[in-house]
Amino acid sequence: MKSNHIFSRNLSHDSGNKHVSGLAEYTDDINEPLNTLYGAIGWSKKAHAKIKKIDLNDVIKSEGVNAIVTHLDIPGRNDVGPVFDGDPIFPVSKVEYYGQPLFAVAATSTELARKAVLKAKIVYQELKPIISIDEALDKNNLLFKPRIIKKGDPVKKIAKSKNRLTGKFTTGSQEHFYLEGQVALVIPREDNNFLVYSSTQHPSETQQIISKMLNQKSNSVDVMVRRIGGGFGGKETNFITSAICSLLSHKTKKPIKLRLDRDDDMIITGKRHDFFSDYEVGFNDDGRINGLKLKLASRCGMSPDLSLAINERALLHIDNAYFLKDIEVKNYLCKTNTASSTAFRGFGGNQGMMAIENILDNISRYLKKDPADVRKINFYGKKNKNITHYGMKIKDNVINELFEELKSKSDYKNRVKKIDNYNKKNKFRKKGIAITPVKFGISFTTIHLNQAGALVHIYTDGSVHMNHGGIEMGQGTHTKIAQLVSHALGLPYERVQISATNTSKVPNTSASAASSTTDLNGAATLNAVSKIKSNLNNFIKKKYKIFSKIEPTYKNGNILIGNRVFDFNYIVKEAYLNRVSLSSSGFYSTPKINFNKKTFKGRPFYYFCYGSAVTEVTIDTLTGESTLDRVDILQDAGNAINPALEYGQIEGGFVQGQGWLTMEEVVWEKDGKIKTYSPSTYKIPAVTDIPKIFNVEIFKDGLNIEKVVNKAKTTGEPPLMLAMSVFFAIKDAIASISNHKRIPELDAPATAEKILLSIKKLKNII
Amino acid sequence: MISNTIQFVHNNKIFKIKNPDPNKTILDFIRNDLKKTGTKEGCAEGGCGACTVVLGELKEKKIIYKSINSCISFLPIIDQKQLILIENLSVQKNKLHPIQNAMVKFHGSQCGFCTPGFVMSMFAMYKNFSNFNDETINETLSGNLCRCTGYRPIIDAAKSLNSKNHDDHFKKNEKKIVNLLKQIKERDIEISYKDRKYFAPKSLSNLKKIIKENHNTKFLNGGTDLSLEVTKERGDIKKIISLNSVKELKFVKITKNFIEVGSGVSLYEFQNLIKSYYSDFYNILKRYGSVQIRNVGTLGGNIVTASPIGDSLPLLLSLDSKIKIQTLKKIITIPLNEFFLSYRKTKLKKREFLYSIKIPINKQNHFKAYKISRRFDDDISSVCASFNFLIKKNVIVKANIAYGGMSEIPKRAYTIEKALINSTFSEETFFKAKNLIDKDFSPIDDMRASKNYRVDVAKNLIMKFFYEVSNKKNLRVNS
Repeated sequence: MKSNHIFSRNLSHDSGNKHVSGLAEYTDDINEPLNTLYGAIGWSKKAHAKIKKIDLNDVIKSEGVNAIVTHLDIPGRNDVGPVFDGDPIFPVSKVEYYGQPLFAVAATSTELARKAVLKAKIVYQELKPIISIDEALDKNNLLFKPRIIKKGDPVKKIAKSKNRLTGKFTTGSQEHFYLEGQVALVIPREDNNFLVYSSTQHPSETQQIISKMLNQKSNSVDVMVRRIGGGFGGKETNFITSAICSLLSHKTKKPIKLRLDRDDDMIITGKRHDFFSDYEVGFNDDGRINGLKLKLASRCGMSPDLSLAINERALLHIDNAYFLKDIEVKNYLCKTNTASSTAFRGFGGNQGMMAIENILDNISRYLKKDPADVRKINFYGKKNKNITHYGMKIKDNVINELFEELKSKSDYKNRVKKIDNYNKKNKFRKKGIAITPVKFGISFTTIHLNQAGALVHIYTDGSVHMNHGGIEMGQGTHTKIAQLVSHALGLPYERVQISATNTSKVPNTSASAASSTTDLNGAATLNAVSKIKSNLNNFIKKKYKIFSKIEPTYKNGNILIGNRVFDFNYIVKEAYLNRVSLSSSGFYSTPKINFNKKTFKGRPFYYFCYGSAVTEVTIDTLTGESTLDRVDILQDAGNAINPALEYGQIEGGFVQGQGWLTMEEVVWEKDGKIKTYSPSTYKIPAVTDIPKIFNVEIFKDGLNIEKVVNKAKTTGEPPLMLAMSVFFAIKDAIASISNHKRIPELDAPATAEKILLSIKKLKNII
Repeated sequence: MISNTIQFVHNNKIFKIKNPDPNKTILDFIRNDLKKTGTKEGCAEGGCGACTVVLGELKEKKIIYKSINSCISFLPIIDQKQLILIENLSVQKNKLHPIQNAMVKFHGSQCGFCTPGFVMSMFAMYKNFSNFNDETINETLSGNLCRCTGYRPIIDAAKSLNSKNHDDHFKKNEKKIVNLLKQIKERDIEISYKDRKYFAPKSLSNLKKIIKENHNTKFLNGGTDLSLEVTKERGDIKKIISLNSVKELKFVKITKNFIEVGSGVSLYEFQNLIKSYYSDFYNILKRYGSVQIRNVGTLGGNIVTASPIGDSLPLLLSLDSKIKIQTLKKIITIPLNEFFLSYRKTKLKKREFLYSIKIPINKQNHFKAYKISRRFDDDISSVCASFNFLIKKNVIVKANIAYGGMSEIPKRAYTIEKALINSTFSEETFFKAKNLIDKDFSPIDDMRASKNYRVDVAKNLIMKFFYEVSNKKNLRVNS
């Protein structure tokens, strides 16, 4: 089935050699001009208060300080909100979260700037903050009116069902903890133009936000990004750093570098949405869901940011891989006095999926059935039961076979028995196992974002310059797209020069997000290549009088037409001398997709990614500690361009998800002060936390049925959700204490504390 | 001899800096003065490893390689050492060090920001061990965070180095570096920079003299905590006296009945020393910070900081350790138990410092320690418990129990101990005794754990100790 146009080749990351030698340049590493000043942000110490007075006299007098900016210095739009207003750069009269920027300084060094901002005297008139989802629901403090999506008649179906369950469930927030914090370097140029280097996933929006803030046109701001030190969604809309940096440069007319230290970064910027669900489900004796009614609420923080789209993705993934015929979800977007919750790998999808997985897990435990069987019986079918709750027909379903293959490869059935035996013999250590599926929809659900541009040049010596709108954040998008280009031109990979993403080379780009970066930008780049190839082909045919309709092929540095062979470099030079263009822009927009946000109907996704994981854990019943004994993963990656990089995404995504569902916990005090803002208080998985046995495979039968570049499927976000199996394995281990007779109460993240509490509650009822 | 100039070897040359800013970190020096940007700042508190560099130290004509967090180390500590940066690893462009090659080959980098730190941690291991097992690799890498890869490829890269011939250009160059390091003479360092001063005396007598002559000074004994006053709180430390340079504070004395270590002995050195006497002490120390932290941090520093958690403290308390305090005139010996007064307050008076720690060795005792934390490695415990028991003919003769994280200071659980002593070593005894925990402790809620969890776990650990001793095996998920 494999076509000639697709290939697969393991290759190291294009910057691998530079990463390991310290030569890969990040924004903070750029050699700044001599007269550069350094910024720091002064932020609110209250979560909700009226600003009575901001006295910056001591700040101005502080050593090395050159300039100060407040909201009064903003000539244009005082907001960095990407879709809606609500994210003031500096609020005018009211602070809405602990950590909200209030002013900024430029000084002769970062150290002096950071010392200076601490000298501000700010008088607040405190207002009562709303911090938790509960409080917000209680006070009806919502960003938007609650939204109801409905299909069929769930109330009737639940009432008619033989079995019913109700329950509540929470998943926690998560800090991105990209290793490179937020940073920007802004250099003023003639005509009030600015060159902005920023660690962002979204250069085009950075450009727009800054130009609107300065009341200038977009063509006066260039944004450049060679690479970023991790993003995970945390650099998709966090424009505050580059905006403030630009404002300081605008005021001082000097280059400014603004780098948040880790504490400021974690205090000022938004994190993952916590989600709360309250459900009622009716089901058959075999576990088949008849009807589901769900309340889904999320902590959105102080502004809309991307919360509407994130909640929408939660609603679109409330089915995960399951056919839900009768369903109603009421969705609440809670406004809280915390940093505005933002994009994070999974983008609400994972939270929606955890809600349904928890329901299925509880159904299985209620019926005393193997959760694997109950999950399977609810899966979407291929020929029938294949319409989602938003009316999309699923054509690429492989979950049944993938799930079965993993079950057998991981020896799931036997291990369930072995674990049972182990648990009978051990009182203080209990094992648990779980297998969970993933179906994740690919495309921005805001349809117009599904477009990309590229720019490709071939120089007269035959070397290739490649540029596109995607951001390299570790996923290897440049590597993979360069592979596509080298394959399309039949040139060695080394011949393709990767260049920094740049708004003046490729305009109006979408964020590197929604797992779509390579799909979109790869296709746009190939489009540019095909235009140049078309120029060359026409030239060769004309010059050498070849009238054949055969498409020339590009291979091993040659261009082949029929039995004629032309040297690529020779032809390029010839083409130049004959005044043929060797440069082209490229464009791509995803076909087939449409989605009506009002009716919640359409085809929001071009395709789906499937995967599954089996996790075995051991918990300590005296302390609540847990450990991952073994994880087996089978992930559909279509026909991967570079499997080595996909494995990296799969494993890395899994461990990030594991962190989200186990040890990572963002803690706020009741007054809204965040308590976890450094690696000493916020723990992401370290080297010894990963599974002791870690078997990862790419699904061999995978091939994208849609016309995605190389017939590949993305591995950006989907693998994060494989870690759902960790959570349910832990729950399984806890349940074994009751001999699987009771359903444990467990919320995510399953920290040692939550596990011990769950055990305690379980022991009290058995 | 006193000098105001620090000297160190870098790029095969001796660097000299006269009166450097003693509050400047090594990282700041590397990035802003040397203009080498391969070393990254991830957190400025020694918690992520992105800033890892390696210091080469001369020890008996050989170089010992120590990974450190350059973000929380003050510049003067590199005096008499070799500074090795990520840029020094590849001899020339396109000629990577074997470690770098392995990291590329195994796809150990994604976004690449943490990568230089990982490479440097691995480099120290590669140089110090001719062979390393999984345990060594895990220990080496546990202070480096990566958010992209999930670590597996990095571990594989490290494993692949085991079979490699360890003759790299550092080996070839070793004699030259040894000679350069030898050229830097032993001398006291006294730095004046604006209104800041830094002293690093070589001898106890000079140290005392400096203490006598200077007021409002702060002792640096490792400095992994002290430096945070600058890197996190944005403060200035005007006068620093380093204890780390004092030879007499680095001694180790082992007799039949006790181990005595000078307060300047690094936690890394100590962990390997204590291993054969109290294996759980070693197990807990291995989870204390990271190799980078333990290479610099000292047992003395850990005690004087008097953290309510301070993971070695409950262990030392349960072992009836004693400490020697050096005043300007004499040495006073007191039980560690009497040292901690209240939150981060100790008996240490101005101008006094810790001289040594004396730990009794009791081979017939049951010694066990437990650290409960959100993350297994490199985390601060929510509860740490240590048990040192002597059981004769099924009767508890001695019952020392100490906790960290349960009070404003680490302390013994006297009420429970009392209830246990002279009782039968039985489940029932322990079950009754554990409920007395409230008599000794009333912990607080914080971001690491709630009060209730702390109490529950503290009780359960008493049972765990009993079950482990009576079953003659450890019942832990992570062992």
